[in-house]
Amino acid sequence: MSGGRARYIVPPTVTTLGQMKLRLVGATKGHALLKKKADALTMRFRQILKEIIEKKEGMGDIMKHAFFSLTEAVYSSGESVKNTIFDNVETATIKVNGGLDNVAGVKIPKFAAEVIPGETKMDLTGLGRGGQQLQSCRKSYIKSIELLVALANLQTAFVTLDEALKVTNRRVNALENVVKPMIENTISYIKGELDELEREEFFRLKKVQKNKQKQAAAQVARQELENMAANGSTLETAEEENFDLPPLKAGAGKTSSLLNEKDDDIIY
Amino acid sequence: MWGFEMLTYNIQDGFLEAVVRGHRSGLLTVADYNNLCQCESLEDIKLNLTATDYGTYLSNEASPLYTTTIVEKCTKKLVDDWVKMRANADEKLGQFLDYCTYGHMIDNVVLIVTGTLHERDVQELLDKCHPLGMFDSIATLAVASNMRELYRLVLVDTPLAPYFSENLSHEDLDEMNIEIMRNTLYKAYLDDFAHFCESLGGTTGEVMGDLLAFETDRRALNITLNSIGTELTREDRKKLYSNFGLLYPHGHNELAQAEDFDQIRAAMEKVPAYASIFSKLGFGESQMLDKLLYEEEVKRCVMCFEQQFHYTPFYAYMKLREQEIRNIMWISECVAQDQKARITDGIVYTF
Repeated sequence: MSGGRARYIVPPTVTTLGQMKLRLVGATKGHALLKKKADALTMRFRQILKEIIEKKEGMGDIMKHAFFSLTEAVYSSGESVKNTIFDNVETATIKVNGGLDNVAGVKIPKFAAEVIPGETKMDLTGLGRGGQQLQSCRKSYIKSIELLVALANLQTAFVTLDEALKVTNRRVNALENVVKPMIENTISYIKGELDELEREEFFRLKKVQKNKQKQAAAQVARQELENMAANGSTLETAEEENFDLPPLKAGAGKTSSLLNEKDDDIIY
Repeated sequence: MWGFEMLTYNIQDGFLEAVVRGHRSGLLTVADYNNLCQCESLEDIKLNLTATDYGTYLSNEASPLYTTTIVEKCTKKLVDDWVKMRANADEKLGQFLDYCTYGHMIDNVVLIVTGTLHERDVQELLDKCHPLGMFDSIATLAVASNMRELYRLVLVDTPLAPYFSENLSHEDLDEMNIEIMRNTLYKAYLDDFAHFCESLGGTTGEVMGDLLAFETDRRALNITLNSIGTELTREDRKKLYSNFGLLYPHGHNELAQAEDFDQIRAAMEKVPAYASIFSKLGFGESQMLDKLLYEEEVKRCVMCFEQQFHYTPFYAYMKLREQEIRNIMWISECVAQDQKARITDGIVYTF
């Protein structure tokens, strides 16, 4: 498809040539713009990737800590504390807000964790034993949930950006490697065809002129013969007439002479 | 019969005391714990436990194994032991054994009540109840839609009824924070239990008195510690302390006023028995306190086996088993979560 000589199938005329040139200008401009967009996206992409790596490295520790603090809480307040907690939960304390972010025209979903403030009934859980461990467990889980939300945010942005980046890059590459060469090929093809046409026309004109001269020469010769046959006294006048004809040899040898001369057959 | 239990004790309770002492020797030893600490996976733990009293309970467990399964099976062992002993106990001892389980019963009632208020399935709630705290009418707890009905229809028939009627008014039943209710009930229970032990007299009264005093003081300490920074007022806090124990009454006054850990510490250190616990703690550290208190409890429980002809070993056996299950849970969690470095932080060695 992107083979060396691929081109659009168009009639090779001057109008099409103009159109093609316009298209080439458009393609070049589009290519430059898309390239910029792709660069912006790549920058953001790298940045997000960096953050994801940082967060993920921290996540292991935080999650481990959270899970272990649960163990500590259960250790000091007994198995049954789980049920107490389940039963006391009414509404979520952490909510995730969704939004949209815009990077170089690409819409990226954005999540943010929001801790809803307010007194919870949980404060007194484990009053008899293990309350402190429960609170610290709660804190470390809140921390890990916040981290998870931040990670989810980054990961979603990452995936969305990745897709957008792929599309943009594909477009950039398509413009660069397919569309632009094709237009260029077409333009050079049209130019070539036009030149060819011109040369053909020129050759044809030359041929016509030559024929004409041949015919004229033959007529002159025939007339001379006739004159000679009629009377030898008029020979001198006939020879004078012959000199009036354009110099054939010189005309055929020089191209420019054709253009300099006036001929009824030449239209333009 | 003060001091003369040895004459008559064995007539009725000698067999069960032998049984409970048998169970006691089945508790895990330091060597067992050391083996458990070496384990690399829960399967290894199961293998190690198979060689102990838990063997029959765990041997048929299929993989994959979870900590909760192990804990559940170990609890089942305790429950089975307990039920057998309860079935063989005569009147006085039976009553004593029942008293030991009231704590779980309170937890279960509170669990069902909160569950019902949040419209959860009764069967699901019953599954979550601690088996030691079961009583006949527990399933009917869920029929009541509000606390007043609950008391009128169900709780009056349970052993917990006096705790409700003496300490909570009808208004309280409707409005009270469930945790405060739980702790109020627990306070009433401990008071009642201590009273009962006193009425039994003899060695039982003496030794149980010590253990319960420790239990109630620990509760007071925990309540104080856990209520710092919450909306619980000082008066309310003081109402949750039991009316006996080494801290009663002056220590309680001080605890009720305490605003941070150092004040609690100052209040506790005035009692010589607890000063030694706090001297092991660094300044401002409250994380290790739980473990130190558990250790103290275990020490006291182990000591009560030194004397004979009294009921305390049954109570102590329950406490020790529960601590052992906590230990196993801790070890399993440490192994499962790959936190071997912390493994010694939670084990309280029994023997």
